[in-house]
Amino acid sequence: MAELTSFSFRSGTSLLHRLDVRFKLLFLILISLISLSGDFPRLGIFTCLLTVLIINSRLPLKSGLKGLQFFLILLLLILGARMVTTPGDPIIEIKFFSITRQGILSGVLICWRLTIIVLLGFAFIFSTRSFEIKAAVEWVLKPFAFIPGKRIATMMGLTTRFVPVILNQANETAEAQRARCVENRKNPVYRLIRLGIPLIRRTFERADKLAVAMEARCYNENRTDPELSATRIDWMALVVMILICGLVVSI
Amino acid sequence: MYIIEIENLSHRFEDGTLGLDRISLQIREGAFVVVAGPNGSGKTTLIRHLNGLLLPTVGAVRLAGVSVQHDLLRARRLVGMMFQDADSQIVGETVYEDVAFGPENLQLDRNQISKRVKQTLIAVGLTDFADQSPHLLSGGEKRRLAIAGILAMEPKVIAFDEPFASLDYPGVKQVLKQILSLHQSGHTILVITHDLEKVIAHADRLIIMQKGQIVRDGLPAEIVNAVETFGVRAPCASLLGMEVRSWLN
Ligand SMILES: Nc1ncnc2c1ncn2[C@@H]1O[C@H](COP(=O)(O)OP(=O)(O)OP(=O)(O)O)[C@@H](O)[C@H]1O
Ligand SMILES: [Mg+2]
Repeated sequence: MAELTSFSFRSGTSLLHRLDVRFKLLFLILISLISLSGDFPRLGIFTCLLTVLIINSRLPLKSGLKGLQFFLILLLLILGARMVTTPGDPIIEIKFFSITRQGILSGVLICWRLTIIVLLGFAFIFSTRSFEIKAAVEWVLKPFAFIPGKRIATMMGLTTRFVPVILNQANETAEAQRARCVENRKNPVYRLIRLGIPLIRRTFERADKLAVAMEARCYNENRTDPELSATRIDWMALVVMILICGLVVSI
Repeated sequence: MYIIEIENLSHRFEDGTLGLDRISLQIREGAFVVVAGPNGSGKTTLIRHLNGLLLPTVGAVRLAGVSVQHDLLRARRLVGMMFQDADSQIVGETVYEDVAFGPENLQLDRNQISKRVKQTLIAVGLTDFADQSPHLLSGGEKRRLAIAGILAMEPKVIAFDEPFASLDYPGVKQVLKQILSLHQSGHTILVITHDLEKVIAHADRLIIMQKGQIVRDGLPAEIVNAVETFGVRAPCASLLGMEVRSWLN
């Protein structure tokens, strides 16, 4: 369980932890949008900002990177593909492939953008309780009377509650099967089926138990609303963010 | 005054299994009842009727005179339930949130919720863990958390389903102490177990179930010697003809 939590909330008292979730969400969207079309100097500024926040909030970057293995591989693939497919001045030529200067630049740029966005998401999840995210969703959806905001927020909450349960279960099942030498079976389809079926069954069983336990504690859609309160820090952060974003967009 | 009245209760599951077979039972307010019986004898099924998680096929269950079915919310506020599997009843991401879950469902306001959560965390001795993830707690602490989650709803009756399963000795003592202090503060306590040794010294009533029926019901000292005929292990001391002593000393 402990190793699965690098991508979940950890309590703390840093600036990120104290900010109101609505502001964080707004910043997340702002920075992501600007980054998506940003060039090197803009990304540079955001990277500095992000570095400060990461150090300040003690984000467990090392264990996070382990969880992001696949993302890193994806980045490498993107970089490689960009390098060889972008036309321009060739730097190295190997048979049919030519790695171009423009290719390298655009590859690095894209990877950098994606990295910023993913790290932002990581920092957001790390510093925000899921019930706060739920509250924010409810708050955003409130003006739209025709959307059942409460129900959507509830479903989101339950989903986040279940991801670790399923991962945990998957781990346990896989280990139990490894203990019985499933690795001797080379056919991946066989192994997938052998893992998948008990996993799905047990996940449903646990979901059932959880549902009963929640029912026993009077669960319903009309619960005490979560409390969201913007403080001075939030408004100050907003001003700073607007200044930074203004600066970034104007260069 | 009976807080729980069960009258001719039968429950048949959808697949046709008869879970409970014509059970009648009255429990006085403030009682400490132990329900024992072999696996599959219907203990869990029985207590799930107390707060309407299961509804009777035949018969009736009343809490302080009002039928459970008539007002499910009331039944769930009156009867707190600790499940066999403590892990699967954790809902919150932190200890604090988990305890707050019930009061939030009752739509109390924030101040009240925070007051109740703080009080219950003190009562079970988990104040220092308030911000921790429940999954990192030890087995005994997890059960105490489950108890806190129930206490925060201020029930009158608390039913424990196998509260000692897979706990070590200190864990058993922690949970047992908790149960006893709840009893002392006036709660009606029901403990389901097939391990009589650990609680029987404190109970004032013992009920033995078998195949969905109540086969014995009375003072622990009087029937504890007969339990082995019904697939329940009797406490060592009573086998030796001695009085069963508390696990706490
Ligand atoms: N959802 C269900 N559908 C069908 N049969 C069930 C269901 N739940 C329980 N049963 C059956 O009802 C009987 C009583 O089950 P119950 O869980 O109440 O026993 P128990 O006394 O709590 O046993 P244990 O000590 O193993 O917890 C068992 O034979 C069981 O197989
Ligand atoms: Mg049971």
